[in-house]
Amino acid sequence: MAKKSAAFPVGLYAMLLFALAWLTLPRVFAPVERWLVGSACLVPRVAAACFGEPALAVERESRARIEELSAQLDERIRRRDFAGTAISMPAGDARILCGVLSVSLRGGGGQPSELLLDHTYAELVGTREVVTKAGALVGFLLKPGVGRARDDTYQDPARVMLCNHPGAPRIYAALENRDGSLLRFVLEPAATVDPAPLRVDLWDDPYRAAQLEETQQRVFTQALAFGEQRVPPGLFVGRTRRWGYEGEGEEAPLTIGMFVTPAFEARALSHVVVWRAGDVSVQEVPTPLRSSRRAAATVYDLPGASHGRHLLVCSEDVPDGAAVVQDGLFLGTARGLCLGSGLVTSFMASRQAWTLLLLPDADAEAPIELHARVVRAEAGVAWLKLTGVPLEQMARVGRGYLFTGSNGQFCPAGLWIGLAETAAEGFQYLKVTVPMGTGPRMAEVLVGEAPQ
Amino acid sequence: MRRWLLWFVIVPQGFLLLGLLQDLGLPTLDLAVLASLYLAWFAERAALPFLLLGVAIGRTLVDEASLPVHILVLGIPVALFLPLRTLFVAQRWLWQAVAAAILAIAIPKLSGLCGRVFDQPSLSSVLNGWQVTWSALLVPPLLSALRFVPPFAAFTEPDGFTKVVSR
Repeated sequence: MAKKSAAFPVGLYAMLLFALAWLTLPRVFAPVERWLVGSACLVPRVAAACFGEPALAVERESRARIEELSAQLDERIRRRDFAGTAISMPAGDARILCGVLSVSLRGGGGQPSELLLDHTYAELVGTREVVTKAGALVGFLLKPGVGRARDDTYQDPARVMLCNHPGAPRIYAALENRDGSLLRFVLEPAATVDPAPLRVDLWDDPYRAAQLEETQQRVFTQALAFGEQRVPPGLFVGRTRRWGYEGEGEEAPLTIGMFVTPAFEARALSHVVVWRAGDVSVQEVPTPLRSSRRAAATVYDLPGASHGRHLLVCSEDVPDGAAVVQDGLFLGTARGLCLGSGLVTSFMASRQAWTLLLLPDADAEAPIELHARVVRAEAGVAWLKLTGVPLEQMARVGRGYLFTGSNGQFCPAGLWIGLAETAAEGFQYLKVTVPMGTGPRMAEVLVGEAPQ
Repeated sequence: MRRWLLWFVIVPQGFLLLGLLQDLGLPTLDLAVLASLYLAWFAERAALPFLLLGVAIGRTLVDEASLPVHILVLGIPVALFLPLRTLFVAQRWLWQAVAAAILAIAIPKLSGLCGRVFDQPSLSSVLNGWQVTWSALLVPPLLSALRFVPPFAAFTEPDGFTKVVSR
């Protein structure tokens, strides 16, 4: 009997099943975790009182410099994201810069195909369906109560269906050959197993298409002669990826399939632009989605804090994933616990994927959106591995100032992380020097507003 | 009741204490390896679920993944090693050293796997060769000592204890 119970420990298996249920329904069990881990933090919290008085992390001049850089980033983001689309969108339209809260739902090419914006549907009433960014087509804004958003209400955050979403409309587009001639085609979302998010479905000249030699050609939307023009002409869609056989000797190459990689990596998106017709006026409604309200907190080093774990003591409840900022410096994100405490994992110690913004050192250069993960950290220097950086931006990635991108409701874009430079490990890596402090420090936590 | 109180107060803080000692220059040892081996081979079977919870809470303090991920990362090796209790009757140090080395490799690997599956990657998924070596060397003597001190002593299964003593 004892052997049987040893071979099949029911209680242990039940606990493992419970953990799986916990991970499936995290919101249901979140209070349990807050109290269990929060109670365990009471001992270090009491001990923290002996660690000394909290100090300010940076000097006033440094803080002013960080604020100046943040303002510069904001200005350059607007300049880049608003530019280029004027030729396609109707004159007089108002432009609304929306932050991206999250990306989800695997679509064509196995890439995310849906964005959640930091604006509610109510705020975006009267806007056009097309969502753009710096002269490029990003996707289509959903309508609450209709189609894919039939369960959404006007108070919900607006969702954007990217071009590779299974329900996205077909796009009429063309690529320009070297001789200036156009090759027109219809683009549709690719399958999740396909090598790129978009796939060319129909060609206007299949014979010429089969003989295409080049790849990475730029693709733009086209005007329609008949039918409803859902997407304005002239918007950049992405670059081609040709699949087929190279011709041997004088033999012509044979194209079998043509895919298109969108202009932007969805996981790196921090902002998109929504357009509202000039004659539509909407009353501004305050929303908790974009609240930047911060609460004062103290950050203590936990034992072994060289590994980047900190105890946070705050005057309010800390939401999960809240950004912790020390005088403009982004320290990391917090996991909220009971009784106003939290555990902070510093940017350097984190291994999660981050959406980041790189402000190039050169004057007036547009910021670069990145999706990256810390792979290694040593003495204030972190090595980031970048994923999905578009070709146009790859060459520009280099020396500059690294900021957070949109990493959820409580970790917005524009918090300064450190100085970035190219890494010797290769073009896919970025070396970031992060200012580090020790001992108890005054900080702020982004707690936002509770939804009404 | 007292033994449970001691377990939930002392064991989670053990992770922080070990971090502190490592900052002071002690060898890098993962307390999760030590605790997993104790749970699998020495702890009371009936008490395992909540003993595991206490250890997982401690690991949540020092690692960014969430509590259920730690329950899985620690619980799966414990569930796999538990049936071996009946095979390794004498619980010899050699087997403990081998098991500790296996756990020191398996736990980071499992952390990495759970991190990818549940999108909660963490620093503890990095395999450290020194940690494997130190686990193999230090876990058996530490286990033999810890089994006799609270709160571990209160949960050490009598038959496992007597077998070790009679050896």
